[in-house]
Amino acid sequence: MSAETVTDTTDTATDPDTAADQVFSVRNLWKVFGPKADRVPGDESLTGLSVAEVRERTGCTAAVRDVSFDVARGEVFVVMGLSGSGKSTLVRCLTRLIEPTSGALHVLGEDVLAMDRSRLRELRRRRAAMVFQHFGLLPHRTVLDNVAYGLEIQGVGRAERRARAAEMVEKVGLAGLGDRRPGQLSGGQQQRVGLARALAVDPEVLLFDEPFSALDPLIRRDMQEEVIRLHREEGRTMVFITHDLSEALRVGDRIALMRDGEIVQLGTPEQIVAEPADDYVRDFVRDVPREQVVSVRRAMRPALEGEADTGVAIAPGTVVADAIEAVARSGGHIRVVEDGRVLGIVDHARLLAVVAGLDPDAGGSHTGGREGVAA
Amino acid sequence: MTAVAPTPSAASKAQEPQRTQKTPKKQAGSVEADQRGKPPSSPGVLRRLTDRADGVSIGWRLLALVAVAAVAIPVAASLWGSGSWPSALTYDVRAPLERLDAWIVDNRESHWVFLYFLLHISNNTQYAVDGVFAFLDGLGWVGVTVAAVVVAWYAGGANLGRRALRTAATALGTFAVIGLLGMWEPAMDTLALMIVAVAASAALGAVLGLLSGVSDRCEKLLRPVFDTMQVMPAFAYLLPFVLLFGVGVPSALIATVIYAAPPMARLTALGLREADPAVLEASASLGSNPWQRLWTARLPLARKQMLLGLNQTIMMSLSMVVLASVIGAGGLGDAVFKALARVDVGQALAPGIAIVLIAVWLDRTTAAAGARLDDTSSSGPVSRARAWAGRAGALAAVAVAAAVGSVVGRDWPVNWTVSISAPINTAVTWVTERIDAGLPLVGGTLVWSENFARWVLNPLRDGLQGAPWWLLLLAVAALALLTGTWRTALTATAALAAIGVMGLWSGSLDTLSQVLAALVLTLALGFAVGVLAARVAWVERAIRPVLDVMQTMPQFIYLIPVVALFNASRTAAIIAAVVYALPAVIRITTQGVRQIDPGALESARSMGASPLQQLRQVQLPLARPALLLAVNQGVVLVLAIVVIGGMVGGGALGYDIVYGLQKSELDVGLTAGVAIVCLGVVLDRITQPAAARRPGGR
Repeated sequence: MSAETVTDTTDTATDPDTAADQVFSVRNLWKVFGPKADRVPGDESLTGLSVAEVRERTGCTAAVRDVSFDVARGEVFVVMGLSGSGKSTLVRCLTRLIEPTSGALHVLGEDVLAMDRSRLRELRRRRAAMVFQHFGLLPHRTVLDNVAYGLEIQGVGRAERRARAAEMVEKVGLAGLGDRRPGQLSGGQQQRVGLARALAVDPEVLLFDEPFSALDPLIRRDMQEEVIRLHREEGRTMVFITHDLSEALRVGDRIALMRDGEIVQLGTPEQIVAEPADDYVRDFVRDVPREQVVSVRRAMRPALEGEADTGVAIAPGTVVADAIEAVARSGGHIRVVEDGRVLGIVDHARLLAVVAGLDPDAGGSHTGGREGVAA
Repeated sequence: MTAVAPTPSAASKAQEPQRTQKTPKKQAGSVEADQRGKPPSSPGVLRRLTDRADGVSIGWRLLALVAVAAVAIPVAASLWGSGSWPSALTYDVRAPLERLDAWIVDNRESHWVFLYFLLHISNNTQYAVDGVFAFLDGLGWVGVTVAAVVVAWYAGGANLGRRALRTAATALGTFAVIGLLGMWEPAMDTLALMIVAVAASAALGAVLGLLSGVSDRCEKLLRPVFDTMQVMPAFAYLLPFVLLFGVGVPSALIATVIYAAPPMARLTALGLREADPAVLEASASLGSNPWQRLWTARLPLARKQMLLGLNQTIMMSLSMVVLASVIGAGGLGDAVFKALARVDVGQALAPGIAIVLIAVWLDRTTAAAGARLDDTSSSGPVSRARAWAGRAGALAAVAVAAAVGSVVGRDWPVNWTVSISAPINTAVTWVTERIDAGLPLVGGTLVWSENFARWVLNPLRDGLQGAPWWLLLLAVAALALLTGTWRTALTATAALAAIGVMGLWSGSLDTLSQVLAALVLTLALGFAVGVLAARVAWVERAIRPVLDVMQTMPQFIYLIPVVALFNASRTAAIIAAVVYALPAVIRITTQGVRQIDPGALESARSMGASPLQQLRQVQLPLARPALLLAVNQGVVLVLAIVVIGGMVGGGALGYDIVYGLQKSELDVGLTAGVAIVCLGVVLDRITQPAAARRPGGR
């Protein structure tokens, strides 16, 4: 499989020349486990086979297959897929906790694969910090010392690192619990410690590996909001791994959907939901409440005579659910306005069509990035 | 992994077993590996007992063995005759050993190996022990008692909590009773030796454990060494060192260190290897280098296992230090040993009690330290200043106590002692006179002992000794093949043949008959009690503290009551062996039966299986690996004490070893020691299921 066939429904540049603007720039990345793993990436005959078939043929497990994407500064990039889809392996390849088999990988324009040990340690110490599904806290240390752990590894003095750790503990809402040990905390609190530990080193990018999968649904929601809040406040770049679609839709600016080690679709939550690239993705997003994700830009129709002058005005990015409320209140149609220009109209029929999952393009004017979808 | 669906079918049950087994020394790796290689098991008891990794069917391998035997045996029998081991096949190993012994004795003072190497070791150990003894002496009895209490209190958490006070009270009671029994002096001898031995073996064990925990190559190199050391009876360690260093403290100390270091090394390595991978990955993701990872994550995570290792090392040191009295280590063991040699139970009891108390005190103290690690309730670290203040206070207390001690006298006051030997002897005589013979219907202990010897031991021994030598070799090969692989069969047969070659055939078979008798008794009792304990909660609760105490006691101690009841005889040695091996067998059985997949049991119960059906169809088959492990442990433990039984009339190899050690006739002792080790190898290979490699326990 080559880069061209990767389904990318966004307008993000895939040109390597602009890689320096990207926090991560990943090209044709492979990770194959097994004997003679390095032979698999170049083998054309394996293209299109499933993971099981590749294993049968070669004795190797291809966990990540020819993956390419960019992570822009300040965005939340979600990698989502079911277990075994290779997403956790992929995120570990980013800091070479798992050594990629082949491909190219740049962080802020710097070649990660060419780094020696000490450069790599620098990358892990200061630029990319990770939050783990099973927390990975040191059970014999207090919360404060756990949060300070990354700084300790960097060689920061005791007083300074504890002061900074205390700040982080407060930031994630654990004030007063600094002297506890991880065993005395609930799962959600433990993950807050993990989050604080990652934040304490002030990294360029935060990597989350299914951080909330082990938590109760309610706590999970709290934690997701915590992450969204942090992102809003600090604008830090995040790479977020999850198997939970609603989580992906909630926190992600862009989502890469993985299956069998490959990215099957890459796009905004709206694109994924409204324009699934294949049956697999369509199946995946079937139960998503579309009105929460799809925007009115996608639901609107051209204005008829006289309509452009009446009705409430909303922005094209408004989700359908909010538009429904406005339509219900006003009783009539709504204008979609951008920069004082009327783009189109939504009314009961258009909004209901979205909720019902009917094709909103029956008379629509906007087709998003559909031209980018591979046949 | 966590939620296992109920698996009612017999076939899937048979394949599911290992996971539940939790013994501290189990090596996860080997078990996993063997699991994977296992072919799907078919029904049939033999088949299930003998599922092998290599997949060659048992039938074929036995057939091959029969074919080899059919050719080799007639030839061998016609060449050398049947019956006992042919003299044509023996090789005189004693003469060269005698020459070696003589050479060493002659050159001990002059040869460079001794002058520049071994002599230093021997002198330094002697200095170290003397120094510690002088230190203990300097503290005086008040100082030592206070120091022990303070250490115990510290290990228990250094507060006014129940645990801290209880461990402190144990220490106080131990030393008070030791003083009262008039055992202060020998107890300090033993303690001095113990302190040096534990320090050395813990340090050695920690270093070796660190190496094999971090480096795969070291692990590969060291593991078989530790494995072998675990099967060897303690006595086997004494011989070579007596040869090198002569009878005395250095030999005892070095043998102890070598005997007691492996558990520390093993558990340290295990702790390092079992460290939570999520934590290590988190540490790596923050950019730690390997050293940082070791110091900040792996070692702290291994603390609990290391403490468990220290506990085992301490208990094994005590057991060996006591045992080493045979080669002149002095102390409490010497007092027991001398009294036992005269069959003077009263005299043996006082030092025996002292040893048991020391064992309990040490075990409780280290266990309390381990339990404290588990504590998550103690909130927050005590501030550094306070911790140092506490330490300084403890030191001050000991110093004050030592000063007080030097005023009131360093030795335990003479008029504060109680002599228990005379009343005990009167009591023992009174009791034994009433139960040793002449009890209506049941006979008496001596009668039992005689009958057991006459009707069980003698026929067994005569049968073994009368059997053609090639038949025994063949039987061992076949048995080892049934439970193991070609390699285990070959090792076992070779080990048995080596005994014959050394010319110890009949003596070894005598010992073997005792081991077998003791083993059968141990397993019958152990399985029965173990299964009972697993099924009836109050039985388990009742026997647990008993087992705890029994497992902490040195092997030597078991001889005292046994000799009182059964006099010095082979039966006494066997009873001691049974009593000694029983706790471990019961423990492993109970654990094995308990820890089977609850889903399987639940589904059996839901289908209306009676308790007996549950036991027979679910619990026992699923606990099979644990039961096999129990058999293997039983063998190792029984063998360990049969040697010691030589002191109290067990005769045969055990007697040869003790005699050889005491009279410095190393050719006798050493060959007998090697023969015991060979017997150990034979029995271990026969009973060692390939699926459950190394056992737990001690």
